[in-house]
Amino acid sequence: METLHQLIELFPYAIAGSILAGIICSFLGIFIVSQRVVFLGAVLTQVAIAGVAFSFLHVIHIETFIASLLGITIKEDYLLHNFEPAFYSLLFALSTVIVFSQTHRQKILTQDGILGIIFVVAIAVRIMFIQKSPIADVSEVESILKGDILFISQTEFFTLAAILVFTLSIFALFQKQLKFVTFDAESASAHGINSKMWLLIFYLVVGTGISLTTRFVGDVFAFAYLIIPASIGILVSKKVKNVFLISVLVGAIVPPISIYIAFKFDFSSGPTAVVTAFVLFLVVYLVKKLKG
Amino acid sequence: MNKEIIKFTDASIGYGKTAILSGINLSIIENDFIGIVGPNGAGKTTLLKTLLGNIKLISGKISRDSLRFGYVPQRDTVQPLLPYTVFDVVMMGRYSFSGPFKRINAEDKKIVEESLSYIGMNDLKDKNYNSLSGGQRQRTLIARALAVEPSVLILDEPTNGMDTPSHYSLLDLISRLHDEKNLTIFLVSHLLTDVANIVKKVILLDQNYFQFGPIEEILSEENLKKTYSADFHVSQVDGEYIITPKHMKKL
Repeated sequence: METLHQLIELFPYAIAGSILAGIICSFLGIFIVSQRVVFLGAVLTQVAIAGVAFSFLHVIHIETFIASLLGITIKEDYLLHNFEPAFYSLLFALSTVIVFSQTHRQKILTQDGILGIIFVVAIAVRIMFIQKSPIADVSEVESILKGDILFISQTEFFTLAAILVFTLSIFALFQKQLKFVTFDAESASAHGINSKMWLLIFYLVVGTGISLTTRFVGDVFAFAYLIIPASIGILVSKKVKNVFLISVLVGAIVPPISIYIAFKFDFSSGPTAVVTAFVLFLVVYLVKKLKG
Repeated sequence: MNKEIIKFTDASIGYGKTAILSGINLSIIENDFIGIVGPNGAGKTTLLKTLLGNIKLISGKISRDSLRFGYVPQRDTVQPLLPYTVFDVVMMGRYSFSGPFKRINAEDKKIVEESLSYIGMNDLKDKNYNSLSGGQRQRTLIARALAVEPSVLILDEPTNGMDTPSHYSLLDLISRLHDEKNLTIFLVSHLLTDVANIVKKVILLDQNYFQFGPIEEILSEENLKKTYSADFHVSQVDGEYIITPKHMKKL
C-alpha cells in the first residue's frame, strides 16, 4: 500500500494519463484491427516519432518560413515555443494518413507495400534527423523520442483528455457513416455514402489519436495498446458493444497496474505495460482455446 | 410500356483516362432484368460502378432518373472481424437515409425487419454474421440492399462458391424479387446457363466489345466466341438454355 501511496503522490498525472492513453489506443485499435490495417498502426507510431525527431532538427526554420509567408512579424522564439514536437508528430502522421487513404483505388502497389515503404523511410529519416540534431547526444534524443508514461506532465494529461474527447465525439456523431465505410466501403458508396470522404475522416482521427499519444507515451506502448486490447475484446466478445467495452476496459485498467508493477520492481513503465497486456492476452487466448 | 430509367449515350467507361469500353449505347427500362456477362477484366465491375455513379464517364452521357440503388457485393469482400449481427448488417442499408445527427428510428427498424422476413432470415437476425453459411450471408447482403427500398438492385456474382441447393435457392429468390417487387435487376455472373435462364436481357462484354439485347438475340454461339475467344454450344432442353464450352460433352 505504501508503494501505491508513493506512486500516486509522485506521479498522479502519469497514472491518470496512462489510463487516457490506454483508452484512446484501445478504442482506435478496434477499428485498426477490424479493418485489418494493423501495420498502419505501426507505421503511424514510427512516422509520429520521425515528426518528433524533425522538431529537434533546428536546421530548417519552418516556423519562420510560415510566418514570413503569412506576413507576420514575430519573435522567432515565440513561434518555436508553439510549434513543439507534438505539432510535427501530428503533421507527419496526418500527411501519412492522407496519402494512405488515397491508395485503395490504385492497383499498382498493395497497401501493405506502400505502408512498408513509409515504415522504413520513417525509421531512416528519424535516425538522420537525430544525427543532425544540434541539441543533445543521440541516446538522449532517442529517449525523448520514445516518450515515457511515467513522465506524463499535467499539460500532456490535459492534451490526452482533449484527444479522447475529440475522438469519442467524432465516432459518436458519425458512427453510422464510419461503421458502414469501415465495414464495407464499396457498398456504402453504392448506397449513397461518400466512402472516400468518410474514410479520410476516419484515418485523420486515427492519425491524430495515434501520433499525439505516441508523442506522450512512446511508440511501443501506443502500438501495443492499439493491438492487444482490441484483440482481447474480439476474442472474448460476441457482441460489437462488448468488444468496445472490454477493449476499453483493458486499455484503461492495465496501464496503471503496469506502472505499479514497474515502480515496485524497478522496470521501465512502457515495456512493463506492454508485457502485462500481453500476459493478459495470453491468458485469455489459452482459456478460449481450452474452452474450445 | 415501361418507362426508360437509365440511358447511356456514346459512353466510354474506364479509370482515369484509360477507357475499357467505348461507344456504349444502352437503354434500360423499368422492371428490366439484365444479366452482365464477360470474361475476367472485361469491365463488368467498371460498368456497375459507372452505373452507380461511383466512377465518372470518360466521355459520352449517362442519364438516370432519380433512382435508388440497392447493391449486393461479392460476399467474400465482406468479412468483418467485429461480431456484427445479421440485424446490424441489414440496418446499414438505412444509414444513407440518416445524416450525422439523425438517430435510427422505428420506421428504419420496421423496414429492416420486413427485409429480413422477405428473404426468410428473421429467425437469424440476432446471429453473428460471421457464423452464417455462404448462402445465409448472401441473403443478409440482399436484405441490406432491400432495406434501401431500391428501385434498382445490382448483384455482383451472388452465387459464387455456393453449394447447389443454396445456388438455386438464391436464384429463385432473385427471380422472386424481380417479379414481386417490380425491381429492375442487374445480375453479374460467370455462369452463362444461369444468366440465360433467369434474365430477360443480357449485356455481353469484353474489352472494347459490347452487345446488349434480349437473351435469344445476344446469347448466340457467334457472340460468345467473340466475347470469350472460345467455342460454346448453346442449346435448349424443355425451354431451358444450356450453354457449355465445346470441349465438354454436348448435352
